[in-house]
Amino acid sequence: MKQMDADIIVVAAGLSGLAAAIAAAEKGASVIAFEKAATTGGAANMGMGPLGVGSRKQREQMVALTPGEAFRKHMFFTHYKVDARLVRDYYFKSGDTIQWLERMGVQFVGVQRAFGAPEATRPYSDGEFTWHVVRPEGGGVPGPRAASAMIKAMTEYALDLGVQFAFETPVKEILMENGEAVGVRAVDKTGEEIECTGGAVIIATGGFGCNPKMIQEETGFEFGKTIFNFAVPGMEGDGLKMAWAVGAGKTPCTMELMYQLPDNMNHFILDGAFRQPCLWVNRMGERFMPEDQIGNTTFTGNAISVQPGKVAYAIFDEALLEHYKKNGPDIISHVHPHDLFDHFDDMWERDLAAGYEPIAQADTLEELAQKAGIDAAGLRRTVEDYNRCCEKGYDEIFEKDRAYLQPIGRGKLYCCRQNVGAYGSLGGILINHRTEVMTKDYQVIPGLYAVGTDACNIFGDSYPFILSGNTMGFCLNSGRIAGENAVDFALVEA
Amino acid sequence: MKLWIDGTEVTAQVGQTVLEAALAAGIYIPHLCYHPDLHPQGGCKLCVVEIEGEDQVVTSCTTPVREQLRVVTKSPRLAQLRKASMELMLAGHPGDCTGCRSFGNCELQAMMQYLPAVANGELRTFRRKNADWPANDPLIVREMERCIQCGRCVRACRDLRGVGILDYHHSEGEMYVGTEKNVPLLDADCRFCGACVEVCPTGALQDREGIFRKDLPREQALIPCQAECPAHIDIPGYLYAISQGDYAGAVDIIREKVPFPLALGHVCTAYCEKGCKRRGLDQPLAVRDLKRFAVEHDDRQIWRSRHVPFSSTGKRVAVVGAGPCGLTAAYYLALKGHAVTVLERYPVPGGMMALGIPAYRLPREALMGEIAEITAVGVTLKTGQNVTSITELKEDYDAVLAAVGAAQGKRLPLAGANDSQCVTALEVLRSVSLTGSHPLLGPGRRVTVLGGGNVAFDAARTALRLGAQVRVVCLEDRDHMLADEEEIVQAGEEGAAVCPGRHNLELVAEDGTITALRTERITGFRFTPGGLEVDPVPGSEELFPTDVVVFAAGQKSDLTPAFGLPLNQWGYPEHNGCATAVEGVFTAGDAVTGTKAVIDAIAAGRDAAREMDLYLGGDGCIDPPPAQRKQKDPCIGKQEGFARLHRTHAGVRDPEARKGCWDKVDLGYSKEQAKTEAERCLSCPLRTQIGVSELWTAYLPK
Repeated sequence: MKQMDADIIVVAAGLSGLAAAIAAAEKGASVIAFEKAATTGGAANMGMGPLGVGSRKQREQMVALTPGEAFRKHMFFTHYKVDARLVRDYYFKSGDTIQWLERMGVQFVGVQRAFGAPEATRPYSDGEFTWHVVRPEGGGVPGPRAASAMIKAMTEYALDLGVQFAFETPVKEILMENGEAVGVRAVDKTGEEIECTGGAVIIATGGFGCNPKMIQEETGFEFGKTIFNFAVPGMEGDGLKMAWAVGAGKTPCTMELMYQLPDNMNHFILDGAFRQPCLWVNRMGERFMPEDQIGNTTFTGNAISVQPGKVAYAIFDEALLEHYKKNGPDIISHVHPHDLFDHFDDMWERDLAAGYEPIAQADTLEELAQKAGIDAAGLRRTVEDYNRCCEKGYDEIFEKDRAYLQPIGRGKLYCCRQNVGAYGSLGGILINHRTEVMTKDYQVIPGLYAVGTDACNIFGDSYPFILSGNTMGFCLNSGRIAGENAVDFALVEA
Repeated sequence: MKLWIDGTEVTAQVGQTVLEAALAAGIYIPHLCYHPDLHPQGGCKLCVVEIEGEDQVVTSCTTPVREQLRVVTKSPRLAQLRKASMELMLAGHPGDCTGCRSFGNCELQAMMQYLPAVANGELRTFRRKNADWPANDPLIVREMERCIQCGRCVRACRDLRGVGILDYHHSEGEMYVGTEKNVPLLDADCRFCGACVEVCPTGALQDREGIFRKDLPREQALIPCQAECPAHIDIPGYLYAISQGDYAGAVDIIREKVPFPLALGHVCTAYCEKGCKRRGLDQPLAVRDLKRFAVEHDDRQIWRSRHVPFSSTGKRVAVVGAGPCGLTAAYYLALKGHAVTVLERYPVPGGMMALGIPAYRLPREALMGEIAEITAVGVTLKTGQNVTSITELKEDYDAVLAAVGAAQGKRLPLAGANDSQCVTALEVLRSVSLTGSHPLLGPGRRVTVLGGGNVAFDAARTALRLGAQVRVVCLEDRDHMLADEEEIVQAGEEGAAVCPGRHNLELVAEDGTITALRTERITGFRFTPGGLEVDPVPGSEELFPTDVVVFAAGQKSDLTPAFGLPLNQWGYPEHNGCATAVEGVFTAGDAVTGTKAVIDAIAAGRDAAREMDLYLGGDGCIDPPPAQRKQKDPCIGKQEGFARLHRTHAGVRDPEARKGCWDKVDLGYSKEQAKTEAERCLSCPLRTQIGVSELWTAYLPK
């Protein structure tokens, strides 16, 4: 058994943990961060950037949104069913946090929104320009993983400040004494146990996206059956379990929903190709949302999650495929290649030959319904109605944007099943606006803090895409808030 | 010698490369194809540096250090070159890491952090044509679209292991890494050592899910047999010794952790085999049979020279119960210099090993030989001592261990279960072990054993050997019976009728005499707080005529509060670690856990010895000095057909011959068989000897 000690102990060195460690070290505390993986950043290595409101960058781009307005938008979106004080503190800090990162050497391309709603639906679902996308070193167009430049700058800055990282050394337990968190027990990769004592412990382990059992128990979804979420290795819910074990209050957990094909990374072309406003139906063959909205992955994920079997089917025909090939996709996502349809035929033939189960091709609607598992009569009725709407140029059911009203039935039919997807889990540990962990009776557990997705209880039932960059934004700012408060606590204690 | 790296003076060794010198001095130069254990190849071009006075940049992994060399590791030109190299590697690599099992432990991903210029939406991409590999390789998953062709696996396979089945190949105008003609690893004579997976810097080569436990520290998880063994015996170490014909060396290694190698060689439940990595290839190593073979063929017993007691500490220890737990604790405490007395209530020592497990599974002379070794180091063994209260012992001894086992057989809640025709398996086995007979069993008696675990089959096969007609009835279906497969099969061969998937309804009696057992078939069952629930098959009731009913429904503690230890609601002593609520009194083994395997009891005995030694003022280090090992050459070489060397089965005595006698059923290996079997080992520890390529985060920013 090895003994260590530090003023502040951070459990996991993802984005939230890094922010917490840096904030604490800036205030002069000694900090140890225990990390299960071999490097820092966790899931944030795949991201592109955080939310910030009221940053200099934003103002320079003539975006006038204020933290107070963002706060109100967020609270309307969540119907005030979340901790308003925590939300307020988060947004009011988020602008300064962008400058804080810039001082570490992080550069931002500018502010973006993740999703622009069609004109007709703008008042209900438009995104704000809050997403600060990290500039790749040396310039160029940022793509997925752009945020890893931010992780590097933060890690180097943390090392400069004297933060100690213990890699491949998962924390197993929070050590308590007289109701206070006083340290952790960790195990390194050789199996040696480490007992580290400290003034405060900050939990930042990133939820349970890689733990099917917890997903089932906490959210009711069945991994690989009713949900196909990112299962970033290591996200096993360690922090939640450890916090609950020492008496932390439990909040409802959600999955950060979107939608995707099963095993979508190996079928990425098809994943993008069917993310188009063609005809979308459920298992009964009925339309269930205006397809012009399917670029909004949060709403579409939600909508699929309430259909029978939690599945939907995107259908287009040969003529529409030709249209996509010629003009490019109707909806362009920032994750899929923009030349999707150049590769469509190759991928489609390969996956069809390999028996990739979510896809089907047919010459008639009946054949398609039978192959895909859709109710044939329902589909027949829907297509008849839908084609009539296309002819009239007006969707009587959902008032779908008429630019996308293309009849179905010209040549071969292509169908792809869409499943509920998710990024990871959200929430679980009850905290206050100082990110202090509380018991179920709202009593603060002294010395214990929880941040990032482990404690992200502020989204309500859905990711607030209207203020994009929110997942990373909350991770960064909650981490920063925790680091500062924890030092105050630890120094007062000492 | 001295050189300068980025203006810092660095001391280097002759023969080092610039990269090695820099890393040793804590200066990070990015690199991917370099690995500390492999010959440098200069392929990835990330480690390029400028040398003052030279125009061309050089790869630092292939440039030897020279006196007064002045090296620059960071410049716009180098950044540009590194960016170009990364772009080449990333062009064919999947754009999204979230679906990759190496996320967070990937050197390429870490390099993307360090050289973030490549996190670029304009990155060119192409789809590899040669990424579709035989997807059904055992143990190793290859996702070659993630391969960056650094060649580490090629060099590890060829140079570290001398196997050389991986190489660069060309097809459709592309270079790719793989086997000759793309044959599956199985047909390429892969040794499945995992070195290629270990050195792969990306997720291209991965261990198949489920091979290694994730809840253990990595270095332990990589050697699953040793991790699963409750006593953590160095199993690969002694398997290698056996393969070399060094049986004395093998026993020396086994005895580092357990004082009953031969008994375990006969009856160990072999958790190691359930963890064995080779299970994912064909069948696990026959670890238990090899252990028995080694002990039976050790004619030098070199372990003795290492198992010498420390000088006397003057402390006195009493151990109550001479089962595997008590005797193990006694042995290690005696080696630590304590004066140990073991008190056993029955006339023979050995606990369940002597009175539970039948002799045809564990020959008594083998067991008594090992107990004699324990008394030989100074343990005093007193049999026929029924300790009814711990309190008196406390006055005469400095520490007491209650290793009393779970000595009482349970009966099922059937009306008539306490009738004179009913008996517990434990009573049968104990009686036969002590006297050679049991009054209820004999030729022609119809015996029904209720239970499906090993104890049920011990009772059944014991009754068979006494001439009875035997039927075994249990709730579990055939595929989920708790007994070892060989027990079920061998009992069937010896004539037992095995009736799985049945629920007992009643004992049918005529004139006060039990004549039959009424059962029904079930499709499932569960234990609820309200008791047993079953899913019966309608109309499946059946009567089994029977004269004797043997309950093999588990055992429980027979301790009473009079013994002097506070008991919990299930009748087991309250404990914290091995310490009880009574100062100086410890408890361990079945006495605490209920019935478990012999190896569990031995491991528990070791824990107790450790705690008690600390309590008595010792250092708690109970292991004798480590055995000397011949290290296996990591260059294991290619071996034709290695992956298809299936498990060697020792001969068994003919069913007819064994039915009438108590001789050991399993005849054991020949020397050739033992060597063949031991050589099947995949040598998992070799992988833990491979060095680590540290990421940029291990170096402080300069």
